[in-house]
Amino acid sequence: MNALAKYVYVGRTAVRSNMAYLGEVAARVFFLTVILYIFLQLWLVTYAETGADRLGGLTLAQMLWYLVITEAITLSAPAVALEIDSDVRTGAIAVQLVRPLSYPLYRLWATLGERAVRFILNALVGSALALLMVGPIALSPQGLGLFLLALPLAFVLDFMAYLAIGLCAFWLENTSGLVLIYSRMTMIFGGVLLPIELYPDSVQWLLVNLPFASIAYAPARMFVDPNAFELVKVLARQGVGIAIFAAIAAAIYAAALRRIHAHGG
Amino acid sequence: MEGRIELDGLRKTFHVTRWQRLRRTVGEVVAVDGVSAQIPAGQSVAFIGPNGAGKSTTIKMLTGILHPSSGTARVSGLTPWHERRKLAYQIGAVFGQRSQLWYHLPPRDTFELLARVYSLDRERYRRTRDVLVERFGLGPFLDMPVRKLSLGQRMRAEIAASLLHEPRVVFLDEPTIGLDVVARHELRDLIQEWNREQGVTVLLTSHDAGDIEGVAKRVIVINHGRVVLDDSVSSMRRRYLGTKLLKVRFHERPAPIELDGVSLVKAAEYALKLEVDTRTVPIMRVVTRVLEAGPVADIAIEDPPLDEVIAHIYSQTARERDMLVQAR
Amino acid sequence: MTRLLDYLRLVWSYVRLNFAAQLEYRGAFVSQVVAMFINDLAWVAFWVLFFTRFPVLRDWNVSDVITIWAIATAGFGVAHAIYGNAGMIASLIAQGQIDVWMLYPRAVLPHLLLGRMSATALGDVLFGFAVYIVAVQPDLAHFALFTALVGSTAVLFVGFGVMAGSIGFYLGNATTLAQQWQFAMVTFSTYPATLFQGAVKVVLFTAVPALFINHYPVEALRSLSLSDAALAFLGSLGVLAAGVAVFHHGLRRYESGNLLVMRE
Repeated sequence: MNALAKYVYVGRTAVRSNMAYLGEVAARVFFLTVILYIFLQLWLVTYAETGADRLGGLTLAQMLWYLVITEAITLSAPAVALEIDSDVRTGAIAVQLVRPLSYPLYRLWATLGERAVRFILNALVGSALALLMVGPIALSPQGLGLFLLALPLAFVLDFMAYLAIGLCAFWLENTSGLVLIYSRMTMIFGGVLLPIELYPDSVQWLLVNLPFASIAYAPARMFVDPNAFELVKVLARQGVGIAIFAAIAAAIYAAALRRIHAHGG
Repeated sequence: MEGRIELDGLRKTFHVTRWQRLRRTVGEVVAVDGVSAQIPAGQSVAFIGPNGAGKSTTIKMLTGILHPSSGTARVSGLTPWHERRKLAYQIGAVFGQRSQLWYHLPPRDTFELLARVYSLDRERYRRTRDVLVERFGLGPFLDMPVRKLSLGQRMRAEIAASLLHEPRVVFLDEPTIGLDVVARHELRDLIQEWNREQGVTVLLTSHDAGDIEGVAKRVIVINHGRVVLDDSVSSMRRRYLGTKLLKVRFHERPAPIELDGVSLVKAAEYALKLEVDTRTVPIMRVVTRVLEAGPVADIAIEDPPLDEVIAHIYSQTARERDMLVQAR
Repeated sequence: MTRLLDYLRLVWSYVRLNFAAQLEYRGAFVSQVVAMFINDLAWVAFWVLFFTRFPVLRDWNVSDVITIWAIATAGFGVAHAIYGNAGMIASLIAQGQIDVWMLYPRAVLPHLLLGRMSATALGDVLFGFAVYIVAVQPDLAHFALFTALVGSTAVLFVGFGVMAGSIGFYLGNATTLAQQWQFAMVTFSTYPATLFQGAVKVVLFTAVPALFINHYPVEALRSLSLSDAALAFLGSLGVLAAGVAVFHHGLRRYESGNLLVMRE
């Protein structure tokens, strides 16, 4: 292949891979448009029927922006459980056994990077749609800052759960079922579609303090209703959640190590 | 009538629309440019050509998947693209890349399904199946999931599956790809036996010279959408290249052999490999000369490897090709 | 008649074989079924929570929304359990797999649809029936109508899947596009029709015929209205007819080899 042909080839490949990426972006845009449109209709009807200005402390616009953030968060989850699962199956993880902390940390850093990018993409798309549908909501630089502070630990917390799930590959034929169950639990217990303020009063306190709520609900609430005092509570809960999930992951890891040493991988 | 394949002036032109940055170009690609052939029932034919030569397009037309732009064809007396479903009862197909066998289930289950798909009479199906199982040696693994079988076992089962409905014509595409030497030979023998005993017409496409020699009696070479050669395998080899390889080993160093039309390919200790252009010099003269050159320990006369022949045919110039086609 | 029987026997063979193949990996199979069940349960849980807070929405209550979910999931499940390739047509075309099905002595579409069984679809079926029986607690008449409407919805999903996938005959690699379209259909059909008006409602009759799932069947069950049920059936048949027509037109294009992108 002469030089020109080579460049043409490289150029074509680059365009093709970008087109694939564009396809993914388009698919994401379409998905969010459908979801946000439907929920906009739902809340329009709900606010109209109840004649309320605020529900769960949020206006209609805030309600939709709340959904934008929770969706941006949940949709940004990379397939890290699957990656860990395959590391377990291929034995790549066994290589790391010499330095047990390095593997989770390595995975964590990789995940956070990917997640940040995907979150920004989702947030941009969702924000554009929300601006079109309900217009902007009040957001000060400080408020934005408080919101951004609530994100990192949310991502770490979510990662810990995926780590625990991925490690179950030592025992399970297939961990994707666990992933789905976890994501649905987050959806319901974590207030993705409905702010926890609108849940039955009897369960609100419990749910707010479970780790699930700290992943999507807490940052989204911080976005639509920033509050420094609340942020401290959110960070504390996230810390506790991380500790809990990390402990679970560690226990699974330890059990897996015992299994490896017993069976020789 | 049954099992006969007739092609007459088959042509296929594709209209390709290419999008380049919002600009549309409509081009014509002639994939098959007037292919004709008469294949009597029960013949085994190798249908070969380089990639993009029009082989698969022709096969698709013969199996009813594609409509030609012009020309006619009849397989078992039926026009494929008009009577696809009726024809399907008459033809079997094994394509190397796609598997008819269900991966997670034993071949037996796929066979049962095929019996249902082809609406086969139960008794007749069982008899055919049992014969195939015995002939193809499927007994030991008939009830094992296909994913656990070796490639050779799988291919045997695949071919058996394609024969369950007793087709008159079988299309085999790269049937021995990926197989080891032993499995290849086994498979070729099986196909050849079935062809001989059942009179099933076999149309084989393969890049493997061994397949061609092991299974086919006749070879049709396609290039640039046209038939470049249509002859028996042996005469193609002989007549086309017109060379033979003569390998001889002497007891002692031989006298030099110089003869018009004989060229030295390789020389070792007391051995020589000569290429003889039989168009220039008759092989007997060369043999006589060789015997005169010294005491001969061993002598063999071979046809050149088919790979070479095929490569040569593919790379021939248009002029040579036209000359050849006319010479027939 | 014998042809119909012959076809039904073919369907039964495929269903049996597909199911047997699924059971070869029992763990994965069960986990997929359970996962979808839980997924559906989560969405119904959301609605239960929502209606706990807002008991009535434009004369709809939680029971109505649960009915939508029951019909949609059970119908989708039946469709993709038996005709698992309904959602795969675009990718089959893109991979040149249609050829494979054309080598058999069978009409292409009714045969190729049978080639696969979706494990998650079985979870949907289980869920649909379970949630309807447990949460709505129907009497016999309602349950009979429900089952008929599930059948109608299944027909709708098959027809729609075929229609969406057949754009692959016209657009080369249309796999993502077909997926998005099907996602829209599935999503819209699980929300009450009263949420949508105007132009969107027109779309929900046609390009994304979700109204034949989230409106007519539910209305039919609310008042045991046979006219609404009839409209649901008609809609399903219409979508099926449209899908089949588009597929066959596309197949004719395919057979003349005039695809946008030449495959080799």
